[in-house]
Order: sequence, then structure tokens, then C-alpha cells
Amino acid sequence: MVRQARSEATRRRIIDSAIDLINEIGYPASGLADIIERAELTKGALYYHFESKEAVATAIIEEGMDTILDAFRSAGRPSSPAMENIVLGLFVVADAIKADSVAQAACRLLRTFGGFNPAAKAAYGILQDDLAERVTSAVEQGDLRSDVDAEAVVATVLASTLGAELVSSALSDGRDLRHRFALNLEILLPAIVAEESLGYYREFLARQSIRISPSKPQDGLTPRRTTAAP
Amino acid sequence: MTEQVDRRADATRLQILQAAAHQFATRPYSQVNLDDILASADVTKGALYFHFRSKHALATAVIEHRAEHGWTEFQQLSTRGLSGLETMIDVAYLTAGSDIGEAQARAGLNLLESIGRFDGLQAKLLDVWVIGFAAMTRRAIEEGDVADRVDPEHAARLLVSMYLGLRQTSNLDEPETYIGDLESVWMLVLPGIANPERLAYFAGFIRRRSALAIKNAVPLRANNL
Repeated sequence: MVRQARSEATRRRIIDSAIDLINEIGYPASGLADIIERAELTKGALYYHFESKEAVATAIIEEGMDTILDAFRSAGRPSSPAMENIVLGLFVVADAIKADSVAQAACRLLRTFGGFNPAAKAAYGILQDDLAERVTSAVEQGDLRSDVDAEAVVATVLASTLGAELVSSALSDGRDLRHRFALNLEILLPAIVAEESLGYYREFLARQSIRISPSKPQDGLTPRRTTAAP
Repeated sequence: MTEQVDRRADATRLQILQAAAHQFATRPYSQVNLDDILASADVTKGALYFHFRSKHALATAVIEHRAEHGWTEFQQLSTRGLSGLETMIDVAYLTAGSDIGEAQARAGLNLLESIGRFDGLQAKLLDVWVIGFAAMTRRAIEEGDVADRVDPEHAARLLVSMYLGLRQTSNLDEPETYIGDLESVWMLVLPGIANPERLAYFAGFIRRRSALAIKNAVPLRANNL
């Protein structure tokens, strides 16, 4: 029992150190030796848990993606329109990424590996599927323009979201992620949303845009102030 | 070993509560008897009396069990990323959906009316809801959705009262009617609390919830058979 706990703790240290390094200097520049040094472990200890640097990366991708998917999925509810769930989902994902170093590292790794790592490839697939599910619902609920193709909507939203994450990370170290998501949606909404619903979703988006990221889950529902977008 | 026993006891208690909820959801309190609950819970009389000394104690437990669950859902909704007023509307629709289709919710609220008044249970639970809604209303005022002339506690009390009254004057067994009535009362109340420039948005917000609620509703009697 105790051995298991110690083993788990070691594994955790390796992953946390790798995450720190990936977020500080990027994956390519982080060597196994650096991870070992940062984690203050032996080479043997690391190889016991992970057979390669990429194995560490895979573990981080899986953990980070769990957080991101969880955020996107929990933001949506069957009692809310699917189009709202898409917009809200993106903002909740932005908050989750900003608040979680594992998710941040996972995003960097996704970009680094693309389709060359099975976990990364799977992650892109899952993101696309989750989005497709919501877009299909939005079509059923009549919120999408009748002259637009659901597949095209999914492709565009996915690409612009991933692109925004990349640019935000590169140019502002991830600080303006919410803002970039908002800018994307501002342009996309008229192209996607049915005319009779467009005014509503523009306002829904505007309201999301001016909210600041929520802090930790609220206790007695203390009120927060909203501020202007960065 | 004791941990296993505890878990089994908890499971049994839950089974009893669920069976009781089914009874209390569809019959008046006075007409529910413990034998019916025993039969559908598939527990012994001894097990039942171990957990609950009386029908009244059982009914109280059903109320409190549901209240706890409802409060958890409220907290989850409040961290979802929507505004205060949006959250309050979502809570109202969530409550309505559960009240329409879930025995635990229907029973909890029915019993609150039947037996809650004299033990202070009603007061205790409803106070919690009013406090929660008042906090939400304060948030909504800061966010500019609710007018700052509105007293948060008065608004909270009105909205909670509105829901409790509606389930008496409308018909929970007809989801489309009930949701329609919920929408009507909210649309009527909205101009009294919301800032005028937000009215059109919230009207849309409410209408969209109604449409989905009607689509998703499964009335209790249908799935109770």
C-alpha cells in the first residue's frame, strides 16, 4: 500500500516537473535529463514509470485533455440551446486552460505533435466530435442558417478555436485567450446563426465577452464585478 | 468490516427514500402507508424502522434529501459561467423540469407543503432558497441586469413564492401547460426587476428555455408506470 502511494507520488513529480519545463521552455527544448533534474529523481525512477520522453508527453496530453473536455462538456446543458452551449463552452474552456498548467502544457504538446502522437491525434478527433454533436443539435433547434453546412461550421469553429489558442499563446502567453475566442465568434456568428436568432446570440456573446474569468467555484454566491475586455 | 456494513445501510436507506418518494409524489400524504413503501423498496420492516421511526420521519427525510440535492445543483449552476439573472432563470427551469419528471423532486416539494409548515422545516428550507436567490440578485444588480432600485431579498422572496404558488395553481402533470405558465409568470415579473434595455434579451433567454423544457419533459405518471 505504502509502496504504491510512493510510486504514485514519484510519477506525479515526474509529470509535474515535465509540465513546468514544457510551459517554461517548450517540449523540444526539455530533455529527459532536465526533467530528472527538476524532479530530483534518478534516471531509473523515471524509466520505471515512463519508457521515453514521448510517454511523459502522452500522459500529460491525456490528463490535460480530460480537463479541457470536462470543461466543454459541463458547460453545456440539455436545458440550454446548443448554440449557447457552443459559445459558453468555448469561454469555459478558455478559463480552464488559463487556470490549469496541465491543460496549458497539453495544448502546447498538441501543437508540437499534431497527428504524430496517438493521444494528440485522438484529442483533435474528440474535440471535433464533441463540437459536431452540438452543431447537430443547433441545426435541429433551428438556430443555424439553413444555407450553411454543418460540417463546414464544425470545421471552421474548430480551426479558429485552435488557431486562437496558438496565437494567444505565442503573442500574449495565453493572457488574451478569452478575448481571441470572442473575436472569432463575433465574425463567425453572422455566418452561422439563423437571422431570427442572430441578435440574441450577438448579445449572448457580448455578455460573455465582458465577463472576467470566474475565480474558484463560488461559496455563498458572492457577487463579482464585470470588467471591460482586455 | 464496519465500512461494508455502513455502505449497505446507506444503500438501504437510499432505497427506502426512493420508494417513499414514488409514493409521496403521486398520492396525498395521508393516503400513503408504509406497507406500500415496504413492498416497492424490497426491504424488511425491521430495516425500515431502523432508519425511520415513523411515516413523518420518513417524509421529513425525503424533503431534506431532495433539498440537499437541489442546493448542490444550484451551486453547480451558479459556477457555470452565466450571469446572476440567467442563473436564476435556469434554476427555475431546472426545478420545474425535476418537479415535472422526477419522483424525488415532486415528493419533496409536495411534502414541503403537506407537513413542512409546523416543524419549521418549510421556513428553514425556504429561507435557504431565499438567501441563495438574494445573493444571485445582488450579483445581477452588479452585472446591470437587475435594476438597482430592486431589494434583493424582496425579489428573492417573490421569485421563490412564485414558483411554489405556481405548482399549486398550474398542473405539473401537463408539462406543456406548466412550462407555459412558468414562462408567463416570469415574463410578467421581468419588467419589475430587470433593467429595461435588458428585457428583450431575457425574453429571448426565457423563451428558448421554455421550448427546450417542453421538448425534454417526461411527465411523472408516464415514467412511473
